[in-house]
Amino acid sequence: MEQYLMITRSLTYAQRMEKTLSRAGIRTRIFRAPKELTDRGCAYAVQVSHANLNTVLTMLNGAGLGPLKIYLIRSGSYIELSNR
Amino acid sequence: MIYLDSAATSFQKPEAVSLAMEKALQSMSSPGRGGYPEAMRAADTLFECRSELAELFGAENPEQVVFTMNATHALNIAIKSLVQPGGRVVISGYEHNAVTRPLAAIKGVKTVVAAGPLFQPNMVVQAFDRCITPETSAVICNHVSNVFGFVQPVEAVGKLCRERGIPFIVDASQSAGMMPLDISVLGAAFIAMPGHKGLYGPQGTGVLICGGSMVAPLMEGGTGSVSIQQEMPDFLPDRLEAGTHNMPGISGLLEGVRFVRKNGSEEICQRERQLALRASEGLRRIPGVVVCGRRDLYAQTGVLSFLPEIMDVEEMGSELSDRSIAVRAGIHCAPLAHTTAGTLETGTVRISFSCFNTKDEVDTFLNAVDQILSKKRR
Repeated sequence: MEQYLMITRSLTYAQRMEKTLSRAGIRTRIFRAPKELTDRGCAYAVQVSHANLNTVLTMLNGAGLGPLKIYLIRSGSYIELSNR
Repeated sequence: MIYLDSAATSFQKPEAVSLAMEKALQSMSSPGRGGYPEAMRAADTLFECRSELAELFGAENPEQVVFTMNATHALNIAIKSLVQPGGRVVISGYEHNAVTRPLAAIKGVKTVVAAGPLFQPNMVVQAFDRCITPETSAVICNHVSNVFGFVQPVEAVGKLCRERGIPFIVDASQSAGMMPLDISVLGAAFIAMPGHKGLYGPQGTGVLICGGSMVAPLMEGGTGSVSIQQEMPDFLPDRLEAGTHNMPGISGLLEGVRFVRKNGSEEICQRERQLALRASEGLRRIPGVVVCGRRDLYAQTGVLSFLPEIMDVEEMGSELSDRSIAVRAGIHCAPLAHTTAGTLETGTVRISFSCFNTKDEVDTFLNAVDQILSKKRR
C-alpha cells in the first residue's frame, strides 16, 4: 500500500476529493499542505492510501476533480510524480 | 406570543438549530485556517452544509454554494457581478429594496420594470417577454413577493433568458425551503436566499447558489488559500468568502436545512398555504377588511396581505402587538411591489406563516382583528 499526497486548490476542493474517494472505500486524510510543497501559499492536501494511483486518479477524473500536484510519500520525504 | 412574521425571519426554529449553534461555539474554530481538530470539525460542518444545500437546490457541486450574511448580501454579489455602470436591467414589478437599491447605486443603470398584475403569472411572463432586449445585462425576478406571497413564474422567465442568452438572477428569499427550486432547471446565473427564513437557520446566514457566471467579490481578504497571491482566488467558494465564517450560524443552518429536507419543501408550503387560506377566509368575513389575493390563493404561498379600511395599517400592527400577535405593517421594504399593486399610499398588514404555526393561532388572530375593528367603529 503506497501513500500519496495530493495538493489541492482549496479546502472545499480537498473535501470533494475526500468524499469521492471515501464513497469507493478508499481511505483519505485532509491536512494542511507542507509549505515546501506549495508555491502559492496556504493550501490543503489529501493523503491517499492505495496500491494503484491510476485507479485513484481515474475515480477523481470521473468526478471532474484533479489535484494540482501529486507526491509519493516515502521514508518521510516527498517525491513529486507527474500529474497524469 | 403568536408569531405571524416569518416572511421577515422565522422565529420558531427546530430545536436542533440552537443545540448545533451552542456546540459550534464550544467545539469549532475557523475552517480553512488550520489542520487541528477544532478547525477540521468546522471545515467538515461547512462542507456538510454546502453539500446539503447543493443537493436541495440542484447545484452540481458544493463549490457553487457560497455563504453570505443574508439574502441582501447574496443579491449584492450577484447584481454587482453582472451589472456594469450604464447597463440595462429588467426586473419584476415586485422586487424588494434588496434588488432596487443595489441597482440604484450603480451609476447610469437603466432599470426596466416588467410589471404584471398581481396573481396573474402569465401576464408577468408577457411583460418580461416585451422588456428583455439584446442589450439587457441581467434579468432579476423574485420567486415569491415578500408583500403579497405572489408566486412569480420564474421557470418561464428563466426560459426566456436562456433563449436570449441573458443572465438570470432569482431572489428566493420567500421561497427557499418552501418551494422546490433547482438551479439546473432554471438555468439561472445566481439564486440568492436567506438562511434564516424558510431554511430555519439563524439570523446572519444567507446563501448564494452560483450557476457558472463570472463573479466579482464584494470584499477582499483572507481565504486560507493561495495566500501569496494578492488578488482573490479565481475559484469558488473562496473567491466570495473573505474572512472568518459564521460557524455558529452555519452549524444552525445545517440543522435547519436537514429539517426542511426531512419534512419536504412542498409539504411545508402546503401546510402554510392551508393556514393562509383559513386566515384569508376569516378576514373576508370581517367587515371593512380587504384581502389582497384570490379566494383560492391561486399563485400564492403562506404570505398574505390585507388592508383594514377604517384604520391605518401601522395602528393595526400596533394593536395586534399589544395582544401579543406579531405581524408586519407598512410597505415591507418593497415600495416597487406596492406601486405595482396600487397599495403604496396605504401599505398593507402582512401575515406570514412557518410550519410551526397552528389553526388555533390563526383563529386567535382573526378574533383579534375583529375585536380591534369593532372597537374602532364604536
